[in-house]
Amino acid sequence: MQHVLNCTPYFVAAWLFFCGLYGLVTSRHLVHSVISLAILQSSTYMLLLGIGYRVGGAAPVFVGIAPGQLTVDPIVQALMLTDIVVEAVVVALLLAMVVKAHEKSGCVSPTDLRTMRG
Amino acid sequence: MSHIAQLSPLPVVLPMVGAAVLAGSRKWLNRAAADSIGIAFAAATLAISALLLAHSVHGTEIYWFGNWYPRGSVVLGIAFVTEPIGAGLATLAALLTVLALLFSWRFVDSGGNHFQPLMLVFLAAMSGFVLTGDLFNLFVFFELMSTAAFALCGLKTAEPAPLQGSFNFAVTNSVAAFLVLSGTGLLYAVTGALNMAQIGLALGGRHDPLVLFAFTLLTCGFFIKAAIVPFHFWLPDAHAVAPTPVCVLFSGMMVELGLYAVVRLHSVIFAQTFAAHEGAFRGILLVIGALTVVVGGVMCYAEHHLKRMLAFSTICHAGLMLLAFAIQGPVAVAAMLTYLLAHAFVKSGLFFTAGVILHRLRSIGEKALYGTGKGLWGVAALWFLGGAGLAGAPPFATMLAEAGVSHAQKDAGLHGVALLFIFGGLMTGGAVFRIGMHTFFGWGAGPKTDPAAEVGELPETAEENRKIFWYHYLPPAFCIASALALAFLPGWMAVLRNAAAAMVSQPAYLHTLYTGQTVALALPSWKRAVPEACLHGAIGIVLAGALACSSVFRRKLKKPLRVGDFLEGPMRPWRDAQSGHPGDYVMWITVGLAAIGSATMLLLR
Repeated sequence: MQHVLNCTPYFVAAWLFFCGLYGLVTSRHLVHSVISLAILQSSTYMLLLGIGYRVGGAAPVFVGIAPGQLTVDPIVQALMLTDIVVEAVVVALLLAMVVKAHEKSGCVSPTDLRTMRG
Repeated sequence: MSHIAQLSPLPVVLPMVGAAVLAGSRKWLNRAAADSIGIAFAAATLAISALLLAHSVHGTEIYWFGNWYPRGSVVLGIAFVTEPIGAGLATLAALLTVLALLFSWRFVDSGGNHFQPLMLVFLAAMSGFVLTGDLFNLFVFFELMSTAAFALCGLKTAEPAPLQGSFNFAVTNSVAAFLVLSGTGLLYAVTGALNMAQIGLALGGRHDPLVLFAFTLLTCGFFIKAAIVPFHFWLPDAHAVAPTPVCVLFSGMMVELGLYAVVRLHSVIFAQTFAAHEGAFRGILLVIGALTVVVGGVMCYAEHHLKRMLAFSTICHAGLMLLAFAIQGPVAVAAMLTYLLAHAFVKSGLFFTAGVILHRLRSIGEKALYGTGKGLWGVAALWFLGGAGLAGAPPFATMLAEAGVSHAQKDAGLHGVALLFIFGGLMTGGAVFRIGMHTFFGWGAGPKTDPAAEVGELPETAEENRKIFWYHYLPPAFCIASALALAFLPGWMAVLRNAAAAMVSQPAYLHTLYTGQTVALALPSWKRAVPEACLHGAIGIVLAGALACSSVFRRKLKKPLRVGDFLEGPMRPWRDAQSGHPGDYVMWITVGLAAIGSATMLLLR
């Protein structure tokens, strides 16, 4: 049982990854595409947090705890915070593009947006 | 650590400061002032990078941020590793940025002075990407580079096409970044390290499905950036719509940096893991590379939009560089890096020339340009010289790289890789020649066209001033002249070969990182393959010329001789795949990921 619980974050990460991919592939609305991308990225949060998690570990605040006390890994949490910043930038930029596209051509579907192919 | 090493962070810090200054004051600055400040910061970065490069030739320098030196084999801090290849790529990036900013001098629409700070951020990210020795740092610079690139690509928001190109670019390359991050996370889970050298040391040839999975994620992530088939779809869409100076940095540097990362990660982290499977590993890369060359080359010839044609030629040449790396070993990697350098100059020169054509003749489609360029002999000369450079004609440095590949493939007992180099050169060179003959001479029965070439690109410059100034000629002329001069300049080849030998040797990298001392290695050499490559280059350029003529003079030829005409034709399924829909591109990424992943799992087990 414990083993299954330990693996859960990875299953969730894989699930989110494929949900995001599916959303991107089938998307018919640009905002939907952007949100799918955000979901795809949340799989990396789950993965990183899952990697750093220790059963019974305390929060990685090293004040007032005994030396040698087990904590969860703070490095991956820092990585994940960086990842969130990255996501905020990318999503903001993409949504700005969607707004521009809607202003210029009135379209919100990736199919209508394409002017150039082949 | 010497005093020069203290300058290592400056190639990242300087352009960042410049970008902050420009972004903060852009409302008060007029165009000339913003351009001058941008060029000044880029030139200062170029000077620092060149200084670091000159110094790194005498020995690699390691800069530990905040003086967090490693304890034993455990790395505590983040390192910038200034070795000749990283420093050389940073210098090349800074040089191309200076030229691109000079080219855009009061000329290309700057989107309210957003252009210059974004270019500087882009430069900072590229410099950091090649200098860092830390895997997570690599991801951060990868993402910073991507984000600046998305914004630069979509700068011309007045038209719908840039939004499409930029959106597709952003979606595919964000997926790439997540793949890289997931791979980084998995490697951290296995080794507990983020420094590349320490990861390599901790893995020590460990070979299990988790490591193979991490390898697949990282490699596919960087392949998306490097536009390797089937991850290449974003590149033509992005290149067709980005402003010309931005195209130069995309094709000349950014795409190649994806390949640089693959080489670096393979040498430092995975070399021992795959040591027992060298043949299968080489086979996988050779197949992907050959596929990329064929798709890039055929589509390049079928395009009639100048920038899209050059974009597909970049895909073809990225495939050639991957083929060179696939052969493995110091000679092959040195040849790949030589090709990277020569290609960067040739392709930048061609993009600058296409920018001059768009500026002067107000169009970028082959049909609209037909016969309009008569009398522009300077531009025509640059265009044809660039085409000859792509074909690997003898005095160009691309030929030296082909010589290296011929040499390396013989040593490895392979055949046919050199033939693919001739194929790539003849298709891409032929397309450039065909457009040149149509535009500058007005020969033949008139060009064909395709739907993508009919999407008009608004000229980047104001209508009233169509004169070609010295700052339009200088960047392309400098690039083409450099590609020619590299073949005659002494000295740099020895440095590059030495650095390539150090790059592919994992023990040498580890030793340098932990002790700061450089290891002396045997120099790979390929002098004896040069005459053969001269012959190949000559064949390539003659065939490219013949191919272009068979398109231009199709009316005068009998049916079986109209090869060019046939290759220009519909190519329906190939074109349909290039659908312009981000969902389709992500689908192809999934397919490629599954294919490369299963090949890795089955063949490298």
